[in-house]
Amino acid sequence: MTRELKTRSGTIKFPAFIPVTTFGNHFPLDPLVRPYLPLLAQAAMVSYPYAQGPVPSLRIPLFVDSGGFACLLPGGRVEEEDGLGVLVIEREGEEARRIHPREVLDLQERIADVAFTLDFPCPPGLDKNEASRRVALSQANSLWALRNRRRRDLPLFAGVQGLYVDGYRESVRALAGEHFDGFAIGGLVPRARNHQLVLEIVRDVRKEIGERPLHLFGLGQPDLISRLFLEGADSADSSSYLRFAADGRQLGNTSLRNRDPSPTERLNLALRNLASVGTFRVPLSATGLLWASPHWRSQMSRQITT
Amino acid sequence: MRRMIVNRPMSPAQSEVLAAGLLTTGFNCILQMPTGSGKTWLAEHAIRDSLARGRRAIYLAPLRALASELGERWRALFAPFVVGVFTGEAPGPKAPSFAEAQLLIMTPERLDACTRSWRAQWHWIPEVDLIVADELHLLGEPRRGARLEGALLRMLRLNPFARVLGLSATLGNRLELADWLHSVEYGSDWRPVPLRWRTVTFKKAAEKPALTAGVVGECATAGGRSLVFVQSRRRSEQLAGLLREAGIRAEHHHGGLDRPARAIVEEGIRSGRIQAVVATSTLEMGVNFPVRQVVLHDLQTFDGEEFRPLPVNNVWQRAGRAGRPGLDDSGEVVLIAPAWARPPRAYEEGRFEPIRSRLAEPAELAEQLVAEVASGLCLSTAQLESAFGRSLASHQRRLPSVGRLVGEMLQAGMLVEKAAKVEGKAPRLRATPLGHIAARHLLAPSTLLLFKRAVEAQPLTFFDLLFVACSSPDCEPVLPVNFEELEEVAGLVGPEPSRLLRLPDSEVRSLLQVGGKRALASLKMALVLRRLTRIGDPAQVADDLDCYPYEVARLQESVDRLLLAFEALVRSVQKGAEPPPQSLVDLLRRVTALRRMVVAGLDESAATLTFVPGIGPKMARRLVAVGIRHIEDLALSGPEDLAKVQGLSPARATRWISAAEALVPDHSASTLREDGPGATLAKGGIPAGVDPYRLRRALELTVVCRGAGFEVSGGLEPHLVTMTPVPTCDCADFVKGNTCKHVMAVRLKSGDLELARAATIVTAMTEQIDLQRWWFGSSQAPLSQLRATP
Repeated sequence: MTRELKTRSGTIKFPAFIPVTTFGNHFPLDPLVRPYLPLLAQAAMVSYPYAQGPVPSLRIPLFVDSGGFACLLPGGRVEEEDGLGVLVIEREGEEARRIHPREVLDLQERIADVAFTLDFPCPPGLDKNEASRRVALSQANSLWALRNRRRRDLPLFAGVQGLYVDGYRESVRALAGEHFDGFAIGGLVPRARNHQLVLEIVRDVRKEIGERPLHLFGLGQPDLISRLFLEGADSADSSSYLRFAADGRQLGNTSLRNRDPSPTERLNLALRNLASVGTFRVPLSATGLLWASPHWRSQMSRQITT
Repeated sequence: MRRMIVNRPMSPAQSEVLAAGLLTTGFNCILQMPTGSGKTWLAEHAIRDSLARGRRAIYLAPLRALASELGERWRALFAPFVVGVFTGEAPGPKAPSFAEAQLLIMTPERLDACTRSWRAQWHWIPEVDLIVADELHLLGEPRRGARLEGALLRMLRLNPFARVLGLSATLGNRLELADWLHSVEYGSDWRPVPLRWRTVTFKKAAEKPALTAGVVGECATAGGRSLVFVQSRRRSEQLAGLLREAGIRAEHHHGGLDRPARAIVEEGIRSGRIQAVVATSTLEMGVNFPVRQVVLHDLQTFDGEEFRPLPVNNVWQRAGRAGRPGLDDSGEVVLIAPAWARPPRAYEEGRFEPIRSRLAEPAELAEQLVAEVASGLCLSTAQLESAFGRSLASHQRRLPSVGRLVGEMLQAGMLVEKAAKVEGKAPRLRATPLGHIAARHLLAPSTLLLFKRAVEAQPLTFFDLLFVACSSPDCEPVLPVNFEELEEVAGLVGPEPSRLLRLPDSEVRSLLQVGGKRALASLKMALVLRRLTRIGDPAQVADDLDCYPYEVARLQESVDRLLLAFEALVRSVQKGAEPPPQSLVDLLRRVTALRRMVVAGLDESAATLTFVPGIGPKMARRLVAVGIRHIEDLALSGPEDLAKVQGLSPARATRWISAAEALVPDHSASTLREDGPGATLAKGGIPAGVDPYRLRRALELTVVCRGAGFEVSGGLEPHLVTMTPVPTCDCADFVKGNTCKHVMAVRLKSGDLELARAATIVTAMTEQIDLQRWWFGSSQAPLSQLRATP
């Protein structure tokens, strides 16, 4: 059965790859790619930290993630405040920034078409106690957001975290009985090399949530996500299509690399990468630029590095 | 809206294109169909499809006039979609902006400008779905071709979802172009009205006007209208007059006429008020112009250097106008040709010449390379090689070495190279202020290099500055000088205060990088503009200097743009020299003033009025009209004197008067005045008894033995010369009793020693500027290859 998700900006038919974008001028490639997102994707994803400025019109539904992954970055940590998890980001020379679930929900209610609760990933090797604390705080944040949301037309996805497969299973069981519109599995990026593990987590979570949509945070490898879509995942988001392009690389073909891509070559690579991971068809006129034509291949091969 | 399209019966070609879905395959598409067979109708279909999907479309019109005409028609046809016309002309108050327009009609040059400033246009470029490139054969035209190709290449890289729909009647290499664009293609020679070709021969060139009058008269008697193509403006006027004398309602049409005058003629032929139009290439493409008969009175064309046979592509662009659908059973094409040299079969058979990329020209590629770097789209030589690896020039294996040209641009100071911030990356290219000015003003690098040399050669007078600007390859229209005008030009140039024209000839040529007839044309153009600054009346200037008012207006517009870039260059040089030397400060003041003088036809005294903040060139003219001739007059006047200027409030007048009073001590009316020595020009030095003009022309002609006579070509017409019993030629000059250039050419070919000696003297060089020698000399750049070849 094909699942779908209705939002105020349109219906998303699953499976769907949701490209990550940023607002503002953090990454020069983003403003170039953004106007083309409606041609290659059903929706776009932006994270809380990159959605602080003016919101450009995308003409497709906007997913807004909490940005909880920042607890994995240097200077990031999770603190408890009145039973809820707060993200603290401390950078040298700057005052510590505390992000409360309320701030995240406020922004989401202003700009989002689909919202994700503030959750905290548990990378492999994390202390078990810390992992349990993060999972518990993630769950608390999810339940808090569900009870405090004001916009009824804003689908709310609960973040599902864990250290091991069992942890993910327990986490989703604690939330599945609530009226979340969907669920999102986090913490998969550092586990993505272990396809079997990721598949198992997805299967287990799917079993618990019935026919509600299931999103995967941070996965953009075309071969992996197509398998995961077959195993019950409905959507996945990633910025790999951009990161690869910025580095002159094609997704799914790492043997070729343009060592010195021009801005438009980066743009064309990003669109090509997005087309390869998404389910959209590309106009035939664009294929010459987006896929390696004989000429382009010869240009690339001159600059190949292994 | 839909009704307007589908009610017309479709032609077989249109049916085939639509049935095959060629416009909607998703591929680029090239359609080659004869003039009048419905290409525009198909383009409208493709545009409608894009607009209906919420996307935008661009239509590239080859001419501003056509863009305006289509804009008017398509506003009604495509309503409620917003149609905008963007040709570089000042938009009307209600004209839509780029952001508002869903269908953007523009010239290739405008698209070029948009893609160069792509960041400012990013709010609409990604929404473009379709680019209709009408008259795709423009790709092969000097200057315009490279800009069209450069713009298309940039557009497709910025928006890989945009599709190109190329339209043309005359492509000799459609398959090659389709291969380049990865496009589907369709070619058809079906015409709604078939063409009948007829050749009418003459034995003597003097017979041509009567022959043309005869065939046009036949057509008019049978109720048809004719379009006669000739090779020069003068000839179009003369022949139209002759046709009128023959009782035919005829008018001329050429690039010297302004837009309204041309529109009257166009309306006249459509309504039937006019029976025949004698035109130059202005009516070759674009405008819908239905006639029964097309007469090619001249089968040769002047390419800026010499006369050459008319290319097949041009013949068909012209011939395609014959035959009105629904009114004529067939269209007639009449070729007026010499009896001894019938027109090539390629004409009638329509064997079109292939379109060759203009990016094969180093000068034209250099301009695009600088534009790419200045716009931030390419930051290294490898990136430029990759970008232009997709060009038609590269596809045709004619792309010059990008690396070598980048080296030249670095050496010329248009680009600089800096080490990359990231280790292991190639050095980064950046445009210098010079390069940025060239890219922003759509000027050739050679123009900016010319200005740079001029800045170094200062002090320059107003005339010198105009001479420099008019010598730029970007200056248009070029006003050629006839040999007979040389004396008059010398007489007018002589008294002009000039430093340049007192320099040795070689230095002038080295500075300007032009010579020969092009340099003479620059002199004439400078004279036209200088005269305009003195008398302010374009019509009078045109009359005085044997050109057209419309040409004067276009020259004003062109030199205004060039001087604006010159100003920008002087400002950037000033920035690099803190504090700037007084000479640079003076130069900037003079260039700024000159620009205002040219724009509004002001003399240097009146230009001082524009020193007052708030007084522009047009207001200065209005002040002059009420007797305030310069800044001192303004300072001495009272508000009541300025009350005569309509719409000027007393408060503003008082403010200006106060400002003028404050400025006068440093900016008096004499600030810009020039009192210097005039040009130093040499006398001809050509021996008496031999007409130097005809002799020099004879040196350029080609002589081929034809039985008992000689065919002499390379001039306006090919002519037949017989040498026995006495030299005889069929040209009008010989008939008047002169020893014509054709006879001289045959004598030179036959080894006439006296003439050969005279020829040596004629072509001898001296160090003093000699206008006659310029006339005889080459227009090619003596030094740099960065100048485009025609």
